[in-house]
Amino acid sequence: MRGIGKTFPGVRALSGVRLDVRAGEVHALLGENGAGKSTLCNVLSGAFGSYDGTVELAGEPVALHSPKEARRLGIGMIHQELTLVPDMSVADNILLGAEPRTRLGRVDARRMRERAAALLGDVGLRLDPRQPVRQCRIAEQQLIELAKALSGDLRVLIMDEPTSALADTEVRRLFGVIRSLTARGVAVVYISHRLEELAEIADTVTVLRDGTYVGTRPMAGADPAELIGMMVGRPLGELYPRPVSVASDAPVRLRAEGLSLAAAAGRTALSGVDLTVRTGEIVGLAGLMGAGRTEVLEAVYGAHGPRAVSGRITVDGAAYRPRSPRWAIRHGLAMVAEDRKAQSLVLGNTVRFNASLAALARFRRYGRVDRRAEGRAVDEQVAALRVRTPGTQAVVGTLSGGNQQKVVLAKCLLTRPTVLLLDEPTRGVDVGAKAEIYAICHRLAEQGTAILMVSSELPELLALCDRIVVLCEGRVTAELDRDEATQERILTAAMARGTVLTRTAAGRAEGETR
Amino acid sequence: MTGDATAAGPTRVVGWRRAVSLLGSLQGYVGLVLVLAFGIVTRGDTFLSQANLTNAVGAFASRGILAVGETLVILTAGIDLSVGSMLGLASMVSALMLANQNLPPWLILPACMLCGAVMGLANGIGTTWLRIQPFVMTLATLSVFRGIDRQLSDNVSVGTQVAGPDGKLTGNAEEFQLFGTPGHNLFTGVLGAGVYYPVLAFVVVCVVGQLVLSQTRFGRHVYAVGGNEAAARLSGVNTDRVKIAVFTLCGLLAGFAGPIDAAYSASADPLAGTSYELDAIAAAVIGGASLAGGRGSIVGTFVGALILTLLDNVLGLNAVSDNLQLIIKGCIVVVAVVLQRPDLLRGAADFARRVARRGAPARTGRSS
Repeated sequence: MRGIGKTFPGVRALSGVRLDVRAGEVHALLGENGAGKSTLCNVLSGAFGSYDGTVELAGEPVALHSPKEARRLGIGMIHQELTLVPDMSVADNILLGAEPRTRLGRVDARRMRERAAALLGDVGLRLDPRQPVRQCRIAEQQLIELAKALSGDLRVLIMDEPTSALADTEVRRLFGVIRSLTARGVAVVYISHRLEELAEIADTVTVLRDGTYVGTRPMAGADPAELIGMMVGRPLGELYPRPVSVASDAPVRLRAEGLSLAAAAGRTALSGVDLTVRTGEIVGLAGLMGAGRTEVLEAVYGAHGPRAVSGRITVDGAAYRPRSPRWAIRHGLAMVAEDRKAQSLVLGNTVRFNASLAALARFRRYGRVDRRAEGRAVDEQVAALRVRTPGTQAVVGTLSGGNQQKVVLAKCLLTRPTVLLLDEPTRGVDVGAKAEIYAICHRLAEQGTAILMVSSELPELLALCDRIVVLCEGRVTAELDRDEATQERILTAAMARGTVLTRTAAGRAEGETR
Repeated sequence: MTGDATAAGPTRVVGWRRAVSLLGSLQGYVGLVLVLAFGIVTRGDTFLSQANLTNAVGAFASRGILAVGETLVILTAGIDLSVGSMLGLASMVSALMLANQNLPPWLILPACMLCGAVMGLANGIGTTWLRIQPFVMTLATLSVFRGIDRQLSDNVSVGTQVAGPDGKLTGNAEEFQLFGTPGHNLFTGVLGAGVYYPVLAFVVVCVVGQLVLSQTRFGRHVYAVGGNEAAARLSGVNTDRVKIAVFTLCGLLAGFAGPIDAAYSASADPLAGTSYELDAIAAAVIGGASLAGGRGSIVGTFVGALILTLLDNVLGLNAVSDNLQLIIKGCIVVVAVVLQRPDLLRGAADFARRVARRGAPARTGRSS
């Protein structure tokens, strides 16, 4: 096997990306959220039916149109989210789709267990293959996933943030397995945000930005600052910076002190997050995936219930407990959730239904919803936000992403919030609508709304926010004013995992000595 | 020739679209029209008589009322399998109150409704606080409520035509008959032959239910919880409270239907209401409710209930065997659900157009 060359000109989320991975090397992919790393890997693993460009494997062009084909060619992928069936046994999961069969066509349970046990041995796991996956720890599941990828004749292994759920010792073990693989001549494509990890395991690194290829460097001797520079280097030109800045003596509208959130499946724990948002101020929350940005908003909004959250929160100086979203709305908070379709909209219902859902109490009259008042208010909001819809009786699911997002905004604004929590308000929204959403944010801030906003797009944060708070692993690692904030500084703080962990360890040791 | 065809194209397409969308909005009623037409064509004189229609709807009224409650639950993406048992227990309670305590009907009815509401509340609490899936929770209570029903009655049916010492019906039993014993109508004299109480009750329940769903905040919340529970919660809807409320209302309506069922059969059978839940669900589904939640209406359920009852009636009038009736009823559910699919007519229209286009060159060639 010589090597693999790949180019993909003209894919929407990805254009003209090239990647050369040699056998036996670990090739890291680096880039901001949404830079196209996962898209690229999905193309390689055959998850997308069609793509532009060519993929060559060992010098021969190959077509990757289904995961099955990719697997047959020896390309295995480990996704960011685990793809195991929790209630099936470890052996069943590892050999899913490739079950050995007896001559009678029954699944050969004995041979299956043996093969599974052998594969588990390869990844250094000592588990009973008959154990259900549900009972395994996350780290073990990650390694089971790896064993599953090994079950074929593996030539290329793609790993999408395999260490995001692992503790340090488990990362060591994973690295050991990766090294034994590369020693066998397997090429590994490795995605991670953790620079210090890449320095340890990767041989080469390729940086992507906005779906395009930026450059490739040998990892040995690569300067982290240079890599970060390559990741961000985006002109700020297309965004207008916020014209007015808020006086720093404006009254504080939302203050959180020592905000902590207990960990649970699928969410990052927060510890001791301090935040203030003043009247008329837009504060940005930056951080990488899994840094706890969404969790901060949800904790304040009461989406996790009061028991999981601790710390002191005040709204307009009065103590506030995040009991439930209902309670939050009553206290003047409103949230635009991260996932528009799953968390914000009843897609099958009308624009009017969705827009007025959170504010129905306002339109109550003789125990009924006063439809005329409701219609008037919704029409007004739809016009003010310039939602392009055939009418307020149109089904929300038929609108474009940008207009759907504006309906969500309308829903929030109809509750007349004083604090607006925005989670990725411009995700999946076209450029025109983005600009309009920025304008709306400006206008709201001018009217005195305090806005706390999460975004993965740093230029957006830089242009829009008066202050940016950077999170990493559920902690605040930096708080940057508008004049001192740069993409480099934000990313450095967002990747400051080492300092966060040592600080945690120090804190823990301190706690123990006390 | 080709020029002519393209020129005529747009207008024809617009008209076609309008027709398709009009048909689409009326899809739900197609079944009802078909059943009515079938009845009129085959047994016009008997079918359309007031007595027949009253009897038909009256016989189904208790199940229709259950269907209204069931619709509320289904709209929140839940299901209530215990409505039949709740009805059975309520009818037994009403009969026992009448036969043993000799209580007046105006006291019996609220007591039964309360009893149903308590049962529904149990369902609601199980599905929310204990986080048991509605199907499982109500499957369990279906059995529990039926068991209580049979325990109370000692497995013997209790008659509601209670005779006093003089051999005549007691006053309360006489009044109780108004709940639905055939031949006893309300407002006789004022409104000619009067109104058959079960039909009146069914219609009133439907009207109130539809108003609640379409006009009130609670109604909106019901649709929101069924349409997207996460979105509803983040919009400040107390989703648990909404779910408990719909289950409680469903139980309340079952309790309301209990005395009607008892009066209709002149006795409360320990097995009364068995498998009524299936009719209730069928009526809701035929009426356009989606078991995934968030879609449906009481008007739809009303139409669905009418389709079921009139179909029964028509088939009965035509002396179709019971077995065949069951088969036809099942098929109707399938057909109704397929008919309700919003893209069905559009898909069919597209298909027809494609077929027409394929055949077009040859035909136009001939016609010109």
